[in-house]
Amino acid sequence: MSPDLATCLPLLIAGAATLGLAVAMSPARVSRRTLLARGGTGLAGLIAIAAAPSLDLLVLSLLVLAVLHAALPGKRDFASRLQMPVVAVVLVAVALLFVRVQGPEMLQRFAAVGLAAGLAACVGLLPYIHVLEPEDTAVVSPTVWIGFVGPVAATAILIRVRGLLSPDAGTDLGAILIGLGLVNMLWGTLAAWRAEDSTRAWHYSFMADWGLALCGFGLTVADGQAAALLILVSIVFGRLPLYLASRQALRENQSADRPINLMVAAVLAGSAPFAGFAARVLLLRGATQMYWPLALVLVAGMLLWLPVSLRLGRTLGQPRGRQALGVGIVIAANAVVGLYPLPLLALGGR
Amino acid sequence: MVTPCSGSQPWPPSFSRSPASGLLIAAVAAFFAWFGVSIIVLADGRRGLAVGLAVSAAGLAAIAWQDGDGVAALIVLGGGAAAAVLRYRAGPGGWMLMPPGSTARLILCVAGGLVGLWFAASVTIGPDVATRFAVLSVIGMSGARIVSSREPSSVVTAVATLALATAVATHLGAGSAGLAPYVAAALIAAGALLVPVRVANVP
Repeated sequence: MSPDLATCLPLLIAGAATLGLAVAMSPARVSRRTLLARGGTGLAGLIAIAAAPSLDLLVLSLLVLAVLHAALPGKRDFASRLQMPVVAVVLVAVALLFVRVQGPEMLQRFAAVGLAAGLAACVGLLPYIHVLEPEDTAVVSPTVWIGFVGPVAATAILIRVRGLLSPDAGTDLGAILIGLGLVNMLWGTLAAWRAEDSTRAWHYSFMADWGLALCGFGLTVADGQAAALLILVSIVFGRLPLYLASRQALRENQSADRPINLMVAAVLAGSAPFAGFAARVLLLRGATQMYWPLALVLVAGMLLWLPVSLRLGRTLGQPRGRQALGVGIVIAANAVVGLYPLPLLALGGR
Repeated sequence: MVTPCSGSQPWPPSFSRSPASGLLIAAVAAFFAWFGVSIIVLADGRRGLAVGLAVSAAGLAAIAWQDGDGVAALIVLGGGAAAAVLRYRAGPGGWMLMPPGSTARLILCVAGGLVGLWFAASVTIGPDVATRFAVLSVIGMSGARIVSSREPSSVVTAVATLALATAVATHLGAGSAGLAPYVAAALIAAGALLVPVRVANVP
């Protein structure tokens, strides 16, 4: 197995597990076969992205996924749903061109800017937030990019560009990622807290988690990379399935304050002993090694997760039957990863 | 010294080209790639889009051939031709070249070409000037077309060109990427036009 594929393996496993849970938890009126077919296609795309031997094939795989996703029936038309992923493809392709040609050193720095911007456009982060229609199904919505495709694509791209960029440009890329991460963290938490629509609040909460992940990628120390992997795993097999479980309650405008809602809020807030807590500890340790004032900013930002998570935990309503079982599995898995993250990190080569 | 004309010269036994003719072919190919994507930007009808796609693919294929990879050139040409045929068979009728309100698109075509030329010939150094110009202008202009258009037929046509240009750009890399990007791009170019998107099919 190639090292690049191994790096994405925990995320692929998490993605497959989330797909399985989504199919199992989906309400009877939604065709499970359709969900499995669409999710399976997405998973195949993720495997293609992770296994792509070069960045060019990775970019082409992203383009295929973008076209297929935009072609699904939804509230927004094909062209407008294709826009942001194509912006990502164009930015990354132009950045690769800048990396490859001979010219002034400044081109490498522009390539770093292009890669960071392309990543943000692919995932749907500031300044390229994807337009969300709350009435759309989850499969059609931009949640697919921010919670399912984005983690694998970002990891695969950032792993592959390491050897391409010059050391100075690599440092610039790290600084840009940290800056983007801080902005998204603050914007995501505040917007999720203040948003009137709960579906939008969920979407913004994904952005906040991505802010932490980008900070982790930007820190060039091992702890930062490990933190980024843990946060992405907690997005794919934590926030995403919990959001899917809350979709029915969101549609019916239900909310509840039962113990399970508090447990879900704890998972979403990244409190001990869940995966988010281990990730935050690693991130703070990495930030302290690199530049300790950054750790202070991160701690201040992390406090904003609490009110957001309590709000989102309530939107889960009162899960029953398969949904309750699915939520229980997610909570247990996040607790296991949080208590003993080493096997997962070793699997991802961290 | 002037020598008397000795009649017609025999056809050279090989297809080896002088550097000057190679540069000329590369320049013409790059112009075709830019001109083709300009037609895609300026046209809304299926004929215009199909011709733009075919011309752009031919230019990109010629650049791949000029770069010394004949098989890759054939793959790009095949993918582009298949996509152009598929485009010709479906979409809004006619050429619809430069419909009213196309001034911004025309400016995009000229500006895209000028920026590509400035980047390829002035900012960067080394061989493959034509490849750099063609790749940057086609990627940039097809991306702009996708972002600015609401009509699925023009969007998927631009996606096809974007895929082909991304594959041709691999030649600029240090190591050989093999044929895989070209095959993938050709499949995407043809496959994007087969994706079931609602397209107005007006005769």
